[in-house]
Amino acid sequence: MTGRNDQDRPDPGTGVDERRGFLGRFSGLAMSVGLIGGYGAFGVIAARYLYPASGDPKSWFFVAVLKEFKPGTSILYRAPSGAKINITRRGPGENLADFSALSSVCPHLGCQVHWEAVNNRYFCPCHNGAFDPEGVATAGPPKEAGQRLSSFPLKIEKGVLYIEVSTLELAELEQADEAPTGPGQDPCLFQRYPAREV
Amino acid sequence: MGVVARWIQDRLPIDQKKLRELTNEPVPNHLKRWWFCLGGTPAYLFVIQIITGILLAFYYEPSPKTAYESVSYITEEAAFGWYIRSMHKWAATFMVAAVILHQMRVYFTGAYRKPREINWMVGMLLLICTLTIGFTGYSLVYEQLSFWGASVGANIADSVPLVGPLIKNMMLAGESYNERTLPRFFIMHAAILPITMIVLLFIHITIIRMQGVTEFGATEEEEKKTFNFFPDHLYTEIIMGLSLMIILSALATILPAEMGPRADPNTTPEVIKPEWFFYVMFRWLKLFSGTVAVISTGFIVFVMFMWPFIDAAIRKYTRAKEASVWIGILGVLAIIALTVWEAAVAH
Repeated sequence: MTGRNDQDRPDPGTGVDERRGFLGRFSGLAMSVGLIGGYGAFGVIAARYLYPASGDPKSWFFVAVLKEFKPGTSILYRAPSGAKINITRRGPGENLADFSALSSVCPHLGCQVHWEAVNNRYFCPCHNGAFDPEGVATAGPPKEAGQRLSSFPLKIEKGVLYIEVSTLELAELEQADEAPTGPGQDPCLFQRYPAREV
Repeated sequence: MGVVARWIQDRLPIDQKKLRELTNEPVPNHLKRWWFCLGGTPAYLFVIQIITGILLAFYYEPSPKTAYESVSYITEEAAFGWYIRSMHKWAATFMVAAVILHQMRVYFTGAYRKPREINWMVGMLLLICTLTIGFTGYSLVYEQLSFWGASVGANIADSVPLVGPLIKNMMLAGESYNERTLPRFFIMHAAILPITMIVLLFIHITIIRMQGVTEFGATEEEEKKTFNFFPDHLYTEIIMGLSLMIILSALATILPAEMGPRADPNTTPEVIKPEWFFYVMFRWLKLFSGTVAVISTGFIVFVMFMWPFIDAAIRKYTRAKEASVWIGILGVLAIIALTVWEAAVAH
């Protein structure tokens, strides 16, 4: 900016020229700083605006009354996002250690695993990953990496099991037009997804 | 030549001399006066609108179920969302004002006269685009003003003879406002109109470069003087730009865009007004019945559009050489009067 074409201008005395050179450089610098500062600040604001807010909103949801949840059985729980979560009661105790809530998201690259009853395993179709009923990887890339299916937080209050999941609604719940009953089906949750008028 | 410059020169053989010629166009000395920079101002604001608009589109969802909530998310939850939205709103207001002032400057200095008639018409198209993009813009928020503004707008279009019902149907994607209406407004606002305006601006500026900036009183020695567009005039524009950013940021902070009440298709608010730049039209509609108001507005816009030729005819066939000035003053006074009238009363 300081090296701009000044040859058209009349040549004043050298002292004036020096001063003008200094002023030119100074104002050029000040202008550059102003421009970078001003638009840079806007750029930072824009970047901060685009950076997503941390974490999904989460909430505790009803899963089952413990009396109705038999040891050794599993419930396929559907979160509001549509995610399938396998909640298993391992033993007759009423401690959290007796329950597990396995995510159906493969720890390898995030595909959905599904339960294969014949093989007694969770299977990920993306890269042939497999997990035992406890969620420990038994084959494929997750086994090589020593991974396991992640679990969701559970809590027990007054004989009722709850799970903490994201409240974001990403999918329509299946069978929403059927009145859900039994463990794993929250009648209150159902009311939030009334049968659609067709 | 530095190493970097040579590296680039070897790959992109740009003629330095031609580039300097292209960017160093001499502009008349009167451009040193600030009010002659009013053409660059809307262009600068347009760039702000594109940038803030793209940012807003990251979170905006154009559907009656989600539009209001998404704008409210931007305004109240997203980091600096209030700032981006307020900048967009204030820059829109400034852009309309700057376009009007620029047009007034061009009009009163007679800069639309031969050979610049075509560019005046391109400018008129840009004015219409600017007003339409403002209208579609505030329709997107899905607050009461958005909904009733869009409904009233569509019904105004409906009263145009012959094609009215078709226009209304195309606008609303149906007989009345429905769930497929908002996506139309959004695509108009965020894709069709901006692209049209970019093309028109390109033509507008190309014509200016071809014809050169209007020179006034070219016979006078002083006015013949020129200075370089680059960097001298660019500096003026940079200062304009930074000043605008400061003013807009201050306004966005002091008077941020707020959320009006959510659209309610069953309740028209007691007092309902469009944005200020439609006050003239709104008052006009109250003064005359639907079709008369619409046809007369269309006629006025047509006269404005064809003004360079009408003015040329007046100057050729009558003695009133400066009639345009008096007609212009009358027009401006009428616009101000109708705007103030509409602003001053509730109904």
